[in-house]
Amino acid sequence: MTVPTFAPLPPPDAPPGTPTAPIVVDRVSRWYGNVVAVNDITFALAPGITGLLGPNGAGKTTLLHMLAGLLRPSSGQARIEGQVAWRNPSVYRSVGLVPEREAIYPFLTGRELAELAGRLQRLPDPEAAAARAIRTVDLEAAADRPTGTYSKGMRQRAKIAAALVHDPQILLLDEPFNGMDPRQRIHMMELLRGMAAAGRTILFSSHILEEVERLADGVLVIVAGRLAAAGDFREIRRLMTDRPHTFLVRSSDDRRLAAAFMAEPAVFGTELRENRLTVRVAEFAGFTRAVARVARDASVSLFEVAPTDDSLESVFAYLVSRR
Amino acid sequence: MTIFATIAGLTLRALLGRRRSILMLILAAMPVLLGLLVRANDQDVSNVGPTLDGFVVRIVLPLIALVFGTAALGSELDDGTAVALLTKPIDRWMIVLAKVAVAGTLTAALVVPSTILAGILMGGTDSRTLSVTFAFALGTLIGSYLYVAIFLTLSVATSRGLIIGLAYSLVWEGILGGLLPGSEIFSVREYIGGIASTLEHSAVTDSLVGSGGFLYAAVAFVIAVVLGSVRLAVYEVRGAD
Repeated sequence: MTVPTFAPLPPPDAPPGTPTAPIVVDRVSRWYGNVVAVNDITFALAPGITGLLGPNGAGKTTLLHMLAGLLRPSSGQARIEGQVAWRNPSVYRSVGLVPEREAIYPFLTGRELAELAGRLQRLPDPEAAAARAIRTVDLEAAADRPTGTYSKGMRQRAKIAAALVHDPQILLLDEPFNGMDPRQRIHMMELLRGMAAAGRTILFSSHILEEVERLADGVLVIVAGRLAAAGDFREIRRLMTDRPHTFLVRSSDDRRLAAAFMAEPAVFGTELRENRLTVRVAEFAGFTRAVARVARDASVSLFEVAPTDDSLESVFAYLVSRR
Repeated sequence: MTIFATIAGLTLRALLGRRRSILMLILAAMPVLLGLLVRANDQDVSNVGPTLDGFVVRIVLPLIALVFGTAALGSELDDGTAVALLTKPIDRWMIVLAKVAVAGTLTAALVVPSTILAGILMGGTDSRTLSVTFAFALGTLIGSYLYVAIFLTLSVATSRGLIIGLAYSLVWEGILGGLLPGSEIFSVREYIGGIASTLEHSAVTDSLVGSGGFLYAAVAFVIAVVLGSVRLAVYEVRGAD
């Protein structure tokens, strides 16, 4: 089932008490001196899983911290279930936060950490809630060991257990899969999908495209503090794919092949320098479909076709430049 | 278990790290060792007031309070562990008060017995010595909570709380306090002296604040806790980007 992720923004003149999306980020910016960490970002999220995708240093953590009420926006508002998050501890009744920073009290066991969260949430039975959360994240075997002895993946699961102990409606996770092995990653993804299906709103950050692709219904792409793209993952993926690309080609006759490529509509430039053929194409898919045919028709043998600019950073840079 | 007790229990476990506890125990034992030296030489000190004031109140108490006061919250804010408290639906003043209570109690638990033991070892058990010793014991008890509240607030307000707290104690109270007229109303050491001299006049003969020490200490404590709570309410947790 596809859960709708994006929600309409509430009108600016909406009276108090008007039903609103669980997460609303309204023209939020944050700067540190002259450095702009987050630049005029607006979106609203309905229940479901949304991935916050961007390279390291893009502003993902700053945005999540403003949503979690841990940072004051320099302008705009971050709202949780209609309430301003900053200086409002009551929002934590419905929010669970898994911060990226690993620091947890090293002398507490995983179970004690979850029980602490349950007590501070004023749950009627924090021990039972903690046991449930520990079971949910598959940490039972190590639950009674101090977290100071945990591996990175175990610490991550202990933090997630503490964030889940009060069964929050909204879950904010900053790079939650860091340090987890593939099995734990799959388990955690299943857990989050189940929570989303039960009506929770989940926003998680990642700099890894494949993580977001596997888990998120919707994607927010943030680059250099700006929202570069937002929407359905397939749409973002198409944007990322159908952008100008550059390929390096090695063949039995680069000069003849370069001339043949120029007749193709997907190609808008070729360059032959130092025995290397560089081909600039307008459309990734069109070129990859055509390349073998063009070479065959020109009676040229292809040795290598390699994209030169497929790093995530170049994809993000393109998304920013087209806005 | 109440929220206050939960935070207090957590703080107690955090502060009782083995290395820190041993160091603070050694520091608190110094006045007792001095008393043992006096006792070993079989020479009673005629008035233990100046010794307790000069050693316990001026050195041992502020140093122990500084370590516990800045570690109780400031260290947790610096290393990020305090996020576990800050992301819960609890009032910030509750966090500050619980941590001041625990760090103040730990400080008092070390300094007050140290004061009493050192006083008795140095001055004997005559009524005047006991009177002076217990006057200082009450002064250091109150001073423990006040110093901790001030140092904890400094550690929330700035990441250099330890250095600023040390400068306050050594430079402001130790050097400038004696030179600048009127500075005594901003000196915890003077409050403690005033409290001790109110209970036993011969404990501190030149107190500048006298019985006003009680009032100044109470007002300073409330101001420190309120400022710490307000500062914690607007404390920002920055991420990596």
